[in-house]
Amino acid sequence: MIKRRSLFVLALVVALGVLPLVAQQQQADRVKAIGGKFLCMCGCGQILTQCNHVGCTMSAAMLKELGQWVNRGDSEATITQAFVQEFGTTVYAEPPKSGFSLIAWAMPAVYFVVGAVLVLFVISKWRKRPQAAGVDAAAPVTASGAKISQEAMERGRAQAARETED
Amino acid sequence: MDVFGSFTLLLAFVCAVYAFVGGIAAILTRHPLLVKSARQAGIATCALIFIGTFSLEYLLFSDNFSVAYVVSHSNRDLSAFYKIAALWSGQEGSLLFWSFLLAVYVISVLIAYRHKNGELMPYVGVILAGVQIFFLTLNNFVESPFRTLAAVNASGALEPFVRMDGNGLNPLLQYPEMVIHPPNLYSGYTGFTIPFAFALAALLARYPGEKWIHLTRKWTMIAWCFQSIGILLGAHWAYAVLGWGGYWGWDPVENASLLPWLTGTAFLHSVMMQEKRGMMKVWNVWLVFCTFLLCIMGTFLTRSGVVSSVHAFANSQIGPWFVSFMLLTLVVCFVAYVKNHDYLKSENQLDSMISRESSFLFNNLLFLVACIAVLSGTLFPVFTEWFTPSRISVGAPFFNKIMIPIGLALLFLTGVGPLLAWRKTSTDSLKRNFTWPLVAGAITAVLAYVLEYRNAFSLVCLFLCGFVFWTIVMEFYRGAKVIAARSGMSMMMSAHELAMRNTRRYGGYVVHFGMVLIFIGLAGAAFNTDVQKTINIGESMKLGPYTLVLQSADTKPEKNYTAERMIVEVLKGNKQIMMLYPEKRAFQGRDQQNGTMVAIYSTLREDVYVVFAGMDPDTNLPVIHAFLNPLVKWIWLGGVWVVMGTLLALMPNRRAALVIAGATQPAASPVAPALNPSVTLRERHD
Repeated sequence: MIKRRSLFVLALVVALGVLPLVAQQQQADRVKAIGGKFLCMCGCGQILTQCNHVGCTMSAAMLKELGQWVNRGDSEATITQAFVQEFGTTVYAEPPKSGFSLIAWAMPAVYFVVGAVLVLFVISKWRKRPQAAGVDAAAPVTASGAKISQEAMERGRAQAARETED
Repeated sequence: MDVFGSFTLLLAFVCAVYAFVGGIAAILTRHPLLVKSARQAGIATCALIFIGTFSLEYLLFSDNFSVAYVVSHSNRDLSAFYKIAALWSGQEGSLLFWSFLLAVYVISVLIAYRHKNGELMPYVGVILAGVQIFFLTLNNFVESPFRTLAAVNASGALEPFVRMDGNGLNPLLQYPEMVIHPPNLYSGYTGFTIPFAFALAALLARYPGEKWIHLTRKWTMIAWCFQSIGILLGAHWAYAVLGWGGYWGWDPVENASLLPWLTGTAFLHSVMMQEKRGMMKVWNVWLVFCTFLLCIMGTFLTRSGVVSSVHAFANSQIGPWFVSFMLLTLVVCFVAYVKNHDYLKSENQLDSMISRESSFLFNNLLFLVACIAVLSGTLFPVFTEWFTPSRISVGAPFFNKIMIPIGLALLFLTGVGPLLAWRKTSTDSLKRNFTWPLVAGAITAVLAYVLEYRNAFSLVCLFLCGFVFWTIVMEFYRGAKVIAARSGMSMMMSAHELAMRNTRRYGGYVVHFGMVLIFIGLAGAAFNTDVQKTINIGESMKLGPYTLVLQSADTKPEKNYTAERMIVEVLKGNKQIMMLYPEKRAFQGRDQQNGTMVAIYSTLREDVYVVFAGMDPDTNLPVIHAFLNPLVKWIWLGGVWVVMGTLLALMPNRRAALVIAGATQPAASPVAPALNPSVTLRERHD
């Protein structure tokens, strides 16, 4: 019984000793995670938790403020709101995924999809295109001014390809 | 000397205008004397720009503090090394430096082709003179570097004024890489003017065939190489000087340098389609146009104050000039295209979806998407200001999320491209070619997992690095094996012979290998850790497997600054690894501005990166910020390989010597000598 009680006391002491350290570490990690979503407002354009350039007047104060809010147990949304209220929307390290800012997130995907469709269209068009034959107006000319036929060009290219590729 | 400098620039402007107008007259009249005089005026413009630039350097070296630019960017104690760099540290000087580098390219082109390409060169000369006129307008009338100081005297009149000393160079620029990074980057920016001029000239003159591509191939590679070196040196400077532990922060100015690099890289790939298959002519011309416009846009972004950046020059009024020039260039390009687009008709058809042609198309698509994504992200804050009541920032997390998948897809295509044949690839060939690279990729990923690089993106990246690396090894192995069998040379010698026979192709593979190393370095970024601690002398801090002990601190007075230095011992276990000396420098002039000097212990596995972050205001003890950044060294090593690969690609093929001998033989066929001797074809298509 005594042994069990002493074990319980020991566990309690360990828990009381370790738990604050764990909690402290968790809070530091949270400051780092949330701080990574904001920019330092000194104008350097760096992430708040990364800004340490000499002479920065803002990052220390902002991190201190952030630390206080995290210690108080404020949610990320509340902290974000507070920062935006204090510094404006320029404090965001990345645009929020709502409203007008959604365009910033959507555009790269739109570019890719439109581009891919275009590439596929071009490929299918080129595959259907009949091989041009004979001499046309846009055909390359030799130094002496004679037009080189498509066929001759093709033969030349095939020869070059044979000699220069696998 | 300031008057002399101003005068030479003014004279250069007049010569450039003559080269432009005279060149147009020469094109219209085809009068040989006009052609010659326009070319001579172009050469004179360049010579005068050189003299103007040296005049400004002379003023900097002679501490002439009557000139506003010298006062703002130099001081008596500034070392000669940095007095050179002062030339491009300010808005006016850097614009003159731009003109100077452009003049180096222009004079090289005008002299190199003075007896060649008679139909094309007058057009090229006019276009180059047009670009020079724009920059000389800025140098002469908007941002002159030769403005002198003046003070109001007792009677209210202005009289010359000389300061005793200058403000000094920005401390952030007093670092060796800052002396070589801007010249490289600017050489890249200005270098793309040459392919642009040739592309536009070929379009305007309806110059036959792919000649303009052959002519500009080397110029494009030179510009691309300089741009790559500039970007990498800039990244290294940010890493070693700014002290935030990273090398790429997606800052608007960094992005501005990346944009033309992306389109330039796309061009270097797609140009092969035109050379080998006569395809993508319109695309190539527009890629070159866009690359040039993005170079101008990059300069505009850095100098106009449109986007805020730690690297940007002070805001000025030159924004509208750049916008006007870009619009004018765009209009000229568009009109030239509309008038002559029939000249750009593709000659060939595509045989299969699974072919090298398709891989080039997708490669170009990805480069272009990357470019537009970076551009729109960089300008998004400006758009938000136009359309919403507040400005929304776009920082590194956004760009990382967008660009990592694109980068990985490009890395995948880097491996896939060489495995696909031109025209069509059979299923058997696919199986045969892909099996071992995929196995190599899987082994690399497993090895990375075992070494505890456990992050999804990093593992995918390392898998692709293994995959691409093996495709490169296979390419060299196959070719070298054939040569070894025929010649009896060793495999190493055969590989060397192989590379020298087709420098462009194998130089390209070396560049790809460099990119693999860079991607390995980038994969390490997911595992960066850092610790910041206020410590007293004798105390220590843990950083991963390392222990950092603050041994002592001292003050080191130098000519132009005083350094406060921390002496930090790095231990791994109980074994001393090395001593590091992170510094904080207080510079004279410039209101006692401060700068950092990071101390780095770099290995292939990781960097121990130590910053002296200042004194804690509460305890007055030093604050040490230490980072453990895995695999960073691979990025710089990769950069070296990229440069070596480009240099190899720039070398003439070993068989090209035979071509010259063969080309002197009379043509045996009406198809022209170009198509008759096989060796000639090799030179043209490699």
